[in-house]
Amino acid sequence: MRSAPILYDGLLYVSSLAGFLNALDTRTGKVRWRFKTTAPIHSTPSLNSGQVLVSCDGGTLYAIDSSSGTKTWDVPAGGEVWTSAIVSKDTIFFGDTNGNMQAVSSTNGTLQWKRALGGKIYSTACIAGQRVFVGSSDGRVYSMDAKSGDILWKTPTGDGIDSSPAVAKETLFVGSLDYFFYAIDTVNGAIRWQHGAELGITSSPAISGDLVVFGCKAGVLRALNVQTGKVIWAQRLGQAITAPPVISGGTVWIQSGMTYALNLADGNILWRASLGNSLQSAPVVTEAAVYLTGIEGNVYALA
Amino acid sequence: MIDRRLFVKHTFLGGLVLCLDHWATSPAYSEDLIPPVPPIYVNEPAGTQPSPLRMPGLFPGHVVEIGDPQAIVANRVSQPVVRRMLERALRELTGAQDVREAWSKFIEPKDIVGIKINPSGAPACCSSPEIVREIVAGVQSVGVPVENIHVYDRYAYEIDIGSYQTLVPSGVRVIGVEDRKLDASGYDSNIYCEANFFGEWETRSYMASIVSSSLTKIISVPTMKDHSAAGVTGCLKNIGYGTFNNVDRSHRRPFSFTDPLIGIMCSVEPLRSKAVLHIMDGMRMLWHGGPLSQNPKFIFPAGILIVGTDPVAMDTIELEKIEAKRRKEGAPSVWSRDPKSLTDNGDEFFEDATKNLFYRQPHHIAAAGKLGLGTSDLKQIDHRVLGVG
Repeated sequence: MRSAPILYDGLLYVSSLAGFLNALDTRTGKVRWRFKTTAPIHSTPSLNSGQVLVSCDGGTLYAIDSSSGTKTWDVPAGGEVWTSAIVSKDTIFFGDTNGNMQAVSSTNGTLQWKRALGGKIYSTACIAGQRVFVGSSDGRVYSMDAKSGDILWKTPTGDGIDSSPAVAKETLFVGSLDYFFYAIDTVNGAIRWQHGAELGITSSPAISGDLVVFGCKAGVLRALNVQTGKVIWAQRLGQAITAPPVISGGTVWIQSGMTYALNLADGNILWRASLGNSLQSAPVVTEAAVYLTGIEGNVYALA
Repeated sequence: MIDRRLFVKHTFLGGLVLCLDHWATSPAYSEDLIPPVPPIYVNEPAGTQPSPLRMPGLFPGHVVEIGDPQAIVANRVSQPVVRRMLERALRELTGAQDVREAWSKFIEPKDIVGIKINPSGAPACCSSPEIVREIVAGVQSVGVPVENIHVYDRYAYEIDIGSYQTLVPSGVRVIGVEDRKLDASGYDSNIYCEANFFGEWETRSYMASIVSSSLTKIISVPTMKDHSAAGVTGCLKNIGYGTFNNVDRSHRRPFSFTDPLIGIMCSVEPLRSKAVLHIMDGMRMLWHGGPLSQNPKFIFPAGILIVGTDPVAMDTIELEKIEAKRRKEGAPSVWSRDPKSLTDNGDEFFEDATKNLFYRQPHHIAAAGKLGLGTSDLKQIDHRVLGVG
C-alpha cells in the first residue's frame, strides 16, 4: 500500500496497489466490504457525505457508498490519478498526471470545469475560501478560482512539486523537490519566506497554531514558525520522510521507516514503534487507537 | 524456440588466479571459507540475431570521463552543467561533430528506449533526475516520441522514494517492474538464469518483460557506489541485477555469487543486444555502505560522468576510483578478505568503513570480461579524462 487509511463511522478505508478499496471493521480488523477498481491505487481515499471517494491509475474517480461498498458514480480523468479528491461545498476537486485539474459535482460527478496546468499533478489540492491551491511537476504552485477554474497566479519553485500544500492565515505552505520549503502569500503568490532542507521535500506540511511541521527526504522533521520561518526544532529520524506528519493534541505523528510520536512543542521523541516493515504513509490517530498501513500490505492498529 | 546454456565455473581456481595478487595481501584469507560456484543454466530465445551494438558495444575499451566542480554544489546537481558535460562526453566518445549526431549512433526514431535508472539508495544517492532529463532530451532529439521513452527499474517503491514520476518530463512513462517482493507478474517466464546457490526453493531468476518484449534499446544510468557483496555496483550490476528478479538469493552472509552471476545475466539475449550505452552518474560517489547507505559521511560529491558502451571497462575505471577514495579515507580495499572485517550488525556496517557484511566480489568485473562483455585490462582501456571546457 502506498496510501494512507481514512476513518469514518467505525470503518477504516484502505486502498491498495492491487486496485481494491477495502472497508475494515476497526473493532475486529475484518473486511466488511471490498470494491475493485480497474487499476492500482496510489491515492488516499477521501469522504463526501456518506461516500468514499477513491481514484486509480486507470484514470477514474469513484464515489462509493461508505456502508455498502456499491458504486454511486464514477468520473473519467485524462491520466492517472494519484491525488486525493478534495470536497468543498458541492464540488469535488482532483488533478491527474496529464496535468489537468477538474471540478465535478459532488452529487453525481458532472464536470463543472477542467483546466490544464503546466505539468503532472501528484499533489493533492488544498481549498481555502474560494480558491484551490495545487502544486505541479512543472515546479509551480497554482492558485485557481474554485468556481471557474481560472488561474489567479502561479509561483515557480526550482523543481517539481509532489507535496500537497496547506493553508493557514492567508499563507500557503508547501515543499518542493528543489530542497526548499515555501511560505507563499495566498492573495498574490509572493514568496514570504523559504527554508532550505538537506534533500527534496515530498512530505506535505501540518499546521498547528504558530507551527508548521514538515519532513524532508533526509529524514529530518522540522517545526518552523509560520510567520517568520524560524526553526523552532529539528529532529533527525530513521529514514527518508515522504509521508505527511499528523498533529493530534500536543503530539506529532510521523512515519519514517517506523512510527514516531514527538512532542509538538520541542520535537523530542516520545516513543517509536517498529512493525518490521517500512512505513511511509500517514497514520490515523484516534483516542482508541492509531491506524497504520505498511508497504507490504498490512494494516495495523496500535492501542 | 529456446536455447539452454550451461555455465560451469571451472574457474574457482581461475577466479583465484584473477585476483591472487589482492588476496595474497590478506593473510587471514582461507580457501575453505568460499563455497564453490554451482552450475548456472541460462534459458534464452534461440535464433536471436545479436545486434552489432551489443555489449561491449560500438566503442569497446573506450571510456570517457568528464568532471566539473560546478556539477554538484551544496548537494544540488546543476542540470545546465550536466548538459554540457554529457554533450562533450558523447562527442568525445563517438567522434561526432554535434551531440545529435552522437545520439544517433545509438538510437533511431523508431526505437522504444528504456532508461535503466538505479534508484536504490534513494534519496541520498541514486541516478540523478537531472541526468535522466538530459538523456530524455537527447533521445527525443533524434526523433523518438516522448511516449516511447520509459524510465524504469525493478522496484516501484524505490522509484517512488526518488520521486522520478514527478521529476521526469511529462509523457515519459515511469515503470517499476515490481511493486513488492515475490511479485513475478512483470517477468518473462521463458528467459531465466537458474542455479541453486544456497538451497533456496526458487532457483530461477527471470528477465523483466519490459526488456525481453517492449524495449528496443536500453541506456543504463548506474551510480558510482561500493557494494557490500559485489565490491562495486556499476554498469554491469545495474543492467544484470536490474533486469532479473530473485537475485537476493545469490547473497547469504558472508558469501555472494555476484561473481559470476552478474556477468552471466548481462550476457543473456536480448538484454546484451539492447543495452547500447552507459552513462555512469558520478555526481555523488558512495565509497562505503553501498548500495543503500544514506550516511552523508560516505557520500563524496565527485561531480563526474563516465560514458561508454563497454560496461566492463567502465566498471574497471569505477573500481579504481572507489579504491582510491577508500585508500584516501583509510578504509580497507574492497578486495580484502579479512574475516575480522565481517559483521552481522547492519548498524555497525553503515557507520564503520572498516566493516562489511560480505566477502566482496569485485572480480565479477573481470569475469564479465571473460564472457566477452568488455575489457578489464587497464592497459588496454582507452580512458580519456576531460576537464572543464
